[in-house]
Amino acid sequence: MWKVTRKGLAAHKLRFVLTALAVVLGVSFICGTLVLTATIQKTFDDLFADINRGTDAAVRSANVIKGDFGNDQRANVPASLVTEVLKTPTVEAAVGNIQPYAQAVDKNGKAIGGNGPPTFGLGWDPNPKLNQFHLVVGRPPQADDEIVVDKGTADKGHFTVGDEVTILTTKVPKKYKLVGIAKFGTVDSLAGASIVLFTPHEVQRIAGVNNEFSQISVVAKPGVSQTQVAEDIRKTLVADGQTQYQVITGKALTKENQDAVHKALGFISTALLVFAFVALIVGMFIIYNTFSIVVAQRMREMALLRAIGASKRQVLGSVIGEAVVVGVLASAIGVAAGIGLSIGLKAVMNAVGFQIPGSGVVLRPNAVIIGLLVGTIVTIISAVVPARQAARVPPIAAMRAVALERPINRFRRLAIGGVILALGLLTLFLGLFGSSGISFVGLGALLMLVGVFVVSPLFARQLARVIGVPLTKFRGIVGSLSRENAARNPRRTATTGAAVMIAVSLVGFITIFAASANASIGSAIDQQLKTDYIVTLKGGGGPGGGGLSPELAKKISGLPQVAASTPIRLGAAEIGGSKTFLAAADPEAIPQLYDFNGVAGSIANLAPNEIAISTRKASSKHLKLDDVVSARFVQTGLVPLQVGFIYRNNTLAGDYIISLASFERNFPPQDQLDTQIFVKLKPGVSPVQGRAAIEPLVAQYPNSALKDNAQYKADQKKQVNQVLVLVYVLLFLAVIIAFIGIVNTMTLSIYERTQEIGLLRAVGSSRRQVRSMVRWEAAIIALFGTLLGIAMALFFGWAVVRALHDQGFTKFSAAPFSLVFIVVITGLATLVWASLPARRASRLDVLKAIDQN
Amino acid sequence: MTTTIPPTTTLAARAVGASKIYGTGDTAVRALDAINVEFPRAQYTAIMGPSGSGKSTLLHCLAGLDTLTSGHVYLGDIDLSTLSDKEVTRIRRDRVGFVFQTFNLLPTLTAIENITLPLALAGHKPDQAWLDRIIDTVSLRDRLEHRPSELSGGQQQRVAVARALVTKPEIIFADEPTGNLDSRSSAEILGFLQRAVEEFGQTIVMVTHDPISASYSNRVVFLADGHIVDELLDPTADAVLGKMRNLGGE
Ligand SMILES: Nc1ncnc2c1ncn2[C@@H]1O[C@H](COP(=O)(O)OP(=O)(O)OP(=O)(O)O)[C@@H](O)[C@H]1O
Ligand SMILES: [Mg+2]
Repeated sequence: MWKVTRKGLAAHKLRFVLTALAVVLGVSFICGTLVLTATIQKTFDDLFADINRGTDAAVRSANVIKGDFGNDQRANVPASLVTEVLKTPTVEAAVGNIQPYAQAVDKNGKAIGGNGPPTFGLGWDPNPKLNQFHLVVGRPPQADDEIVVDKGTADKGHFTVGDEVTILTTKVPKKYKLVGIAKFGTVDSLAGASIVLFTPHEVQRIAGVNNEFSQISVVAKPGVSQTQVAEDIRKTLVADGQTQYQVITGKALTKENQDAVHKALGFISTALLVFAFVALIVGMFIIYNTFSIVVAQRMREMALLRAIGASKRQVLGSVIGEAVVVGVLASAIGVAAGIGLSIGLKAVMNAVGFQIPGSGVVLRPNAVIIGLLVGTIVTIISAVVPARQAARVPPIAAMRAVALERPINRFRRLAIGGVILALGLLTLFLGLFGSSGISFVGLGALLMLVGVFVVSPLFARQLARVIGVPLTKFRGIVGSLSRENAARNPRRTATTGAAVMIAVSLVGFITIFAASANASIGSAIDQQLKTDYIVTLKGGGGPGGGGLSPELAKKISGLPQVAASTPIRLGAAEIGGSKTFLAAADPEAIPQLYDFNGVAGSIANLAPNEIAISTRKASSKHLKLDDVVSARFVQTGLVPLQVGFIYRNNTLAGDYIISLASFERNFPPQDQLDTQIFVKLKPGVSPVQGRAAIEPLVAQYPNSALKDNAQYKADQKKQVNQVLVLVYVLLFLAVIIAFIGIVNTMTLSIYERTQEIGLLRAVGSSRRQVRSMVRWEAAIIALFGTLLGIAMALFFGWAVVRALHDQGFTKFSAAPFSLVFIVVITGLATLVWASLPARRASRLDVLKAIDQN
Repeated sequence: MTTTIPPTTTLAARAVGASKIYGTGDTAVRALDAINVEFPRAQYTAIMGPSGSGKSTLLHCLAGLDTLTSGHVYLGDIDLSTLSDKEVTRIRRDRVGFVFQTFNLLPTLTAIENITLPLALAGHKPDQAWLDRIIDTVSLRDRLEHRPSELSGGQQQRVAVARALVTKPEIIFADEPTGNLDSRSSAEILGFLQRAVEEFGQTIVMVTHDPISASYSNRVVFLADGHIVDELLDPTADAVLGKMRNLGGE
């Protein structure tokens, strides 16, 4: 039977190449993701090992609020702790450090970085064991107005030693003299971060602290192990009753840093893998379809095999065998392509400034194994149903022209499809409205799509005919032929359409979701913001923090043209035991700037020991006015806060608000950075006069931008759309695979209809007409899938937006223009893309086609 | 209303020194060997000969479905060997009709759509009176909305004949049009073809293996090994059988 398998593959090469392409693309995506993640992970593992190389132990506050991506927040420790630690006999050196926000401004007045890797300042550490920076030119900073920057930053800003460089901090921007340029270890910059090195004294000033550090790094005496020195320090501290601190070894610190990166990378790679699996699932439909068609075309051959004595098992085996060969080959190519892809992506990342040192990529066996397994298994699963169909063919079919196409069992399809659909709906709603989470949403959506696919052959003929109606009007006989061809094989049309449906439903969903987000934010800005101007942070602040110096807000509120203004500050805290973000504003000013739609209490006299909460949180946490919630902040630990105000509008404001005074008390000084400043002008001050007054202040802070409400709205929209574009890019592969499916189906159909096409040509249809017939049939099938996809997208979009209503998604937007655009684009793309099989069809040898005897 | 095809020249088609060689070198097959043959208008010609003698090849070349290796074929005054694929396609559509042995119809189209297919491809409206006449001639009136799968073999061939007639072509080529039919259906189809010649002045060239089929024609041309070897006017089945025995055929 192996011979039959091999011959089967050889005879249908093109078809299997197209099938394999779907697997290759999906597998390369998976493998590329795994390899790239491993490579980045290795980079960071090495990096942290480098950073902490000289550190034998670290002492820091035990009061921590864990960040999702390792950006833990901790309380500062007093400088006196250094003296305390130094008491330990096994400690050779102990140096405190703190990393406040600091951002260099280039010669054109533009802030460097700020929209990705962090920008921060460090004290120049005289201890060579703890300082990983190596000067390439110049000398260390010795006076408080001297700095050193990393080489990456110097290159970006075209700085040379001796230049005057303005640095933005939590304080007023200040000019420094650049006295040196340093490399971090062997690289120009620490993974793209922009770092300014000050004197230890100056760092204290820009952090706004007075003899405080975020961490103390310790070097042990020679011959003392890390565990030993950590244990000794712990003892010293306990002896002095200082139990609020935590001592960990350098190794543990490195591991902690590495784990944090692994977690963040895990998040990214999971997200990428989800898209890779979407692509593979779309691919499964293509594989299933190809095998179904090929098997159907070879039914007589299968029957002959059965007639001459092959068992059902052997026939089944020969088809599965083909699937295994295709799966393994395609997966192997996919793995190789994936490795190539990751090398390319790495080069791109290096080019955009995210430096990954080393020339190669990290290839772990799991990337290869997972790629091979997933690709092969997916192919085999997709071929099981067609293989069973092949095995079921009666031997008599070889002799007689029995109907080989099984009739569609309407009842069974409806029942099975209905059950899957209902199950999907249930799962989706559990995920959306219950506590089951996002994976249930995904699973539910997938089940629903499969359910629709199972049912769709029942109406594929009718729907294809409806879609084709305009064609019969405008394209005459060619249109009728396309329409009938698209309708003649409902299973094939449904399966090919299903691949398109899945891709389009996701594209459509994300489009609707983004449009709804934009509509919700837009309407909130229009209806709730009472500002004239908003000062925003350029680049949105990277994960490494960054923000506006509070000095700017102070200056703006002092302007005679300004009636009211407040900075907005964001921070993480635990409220009622769960980690959350809260915003801070000036309670006196904010009522004039924002319409909260309050239901109880008042924001205007929100005291530092009070908190404002949204009605959503009030109802979920069963809180009323004057109830006390327990909050935990890094700087101050557990703090009881009384509910002083309850409000409805949370789209822009979020769920928790405290006063600025409270924020200043509960968060470390170096975290006192604003994300926005709301401004309202005095009556009688025109917007132009207002802008003229504020603009010069904003100009002094190149990381800030002045926006009126319309510009602010446009900004927000732009941010949403950036995410949208990213998701489009990631979904693109699934779309491509769905399109490959259309070409595949058309190629197979043409092969099957060789005689028909020959006949058409014989009775006088031009090549052009044959081409157009094939293209329009493809377009009908594509539109069939697209329309189903759009219908599903509308449903998913509506359900998700509905579920997120309480979280500020107050508006549902069906994005009609975008959806129509998607339909038109898929139609046009198919017409173009289908010219490949169309050409093939028009080139068929008429004589061969009609030669039947 | 025209019911006959106006003659421009007296010949509907002819082949002059027509040769067709398949393959090269040792494996070359001379399917047609410098054939000269003429097909006058309003005549029903049958082509006969043993299997592999080049009948189909001749028909295909005459119809512009295949090209000659050397020599010329003319449809009316037009030398097909000088035309592009596009022009030949147009000629097939507008001036030639076909009936094949099997697979004459598109399964997705109804009988009437199949009949009018060449007109639809050209974007022409059918001449309703002519259409009615053809449909009545082949007695298909009550089957027009059926698809081929719902028609018997004989009915399918009748649809094919009607389609061949619908454009009032200068010539109809038929390659064993009754090869797959029982004798009653065969007789029907051959009768229709004969009526087309007699009533509409249609020109027909038909390949057949069957002496009875050939007896419906005005003239039989015998082919062997790519040569025209004999000819018989106003044939009867017995006369054809006699000639074929002489040729050592089937
Ligand atoms: N495409 C081809 N390639 C090579 N040889 C061919 C090709 N088509 C036909 N032939 C050869 O040309 C010769 C004539 O073939 P043709 O089909 O015209 O015969 P025929 O008279 O129609 O036979 P039949 O009665 O069996 O239909 C045969 O020897 C055949 O093998
Ligand atoms: Mg023949």
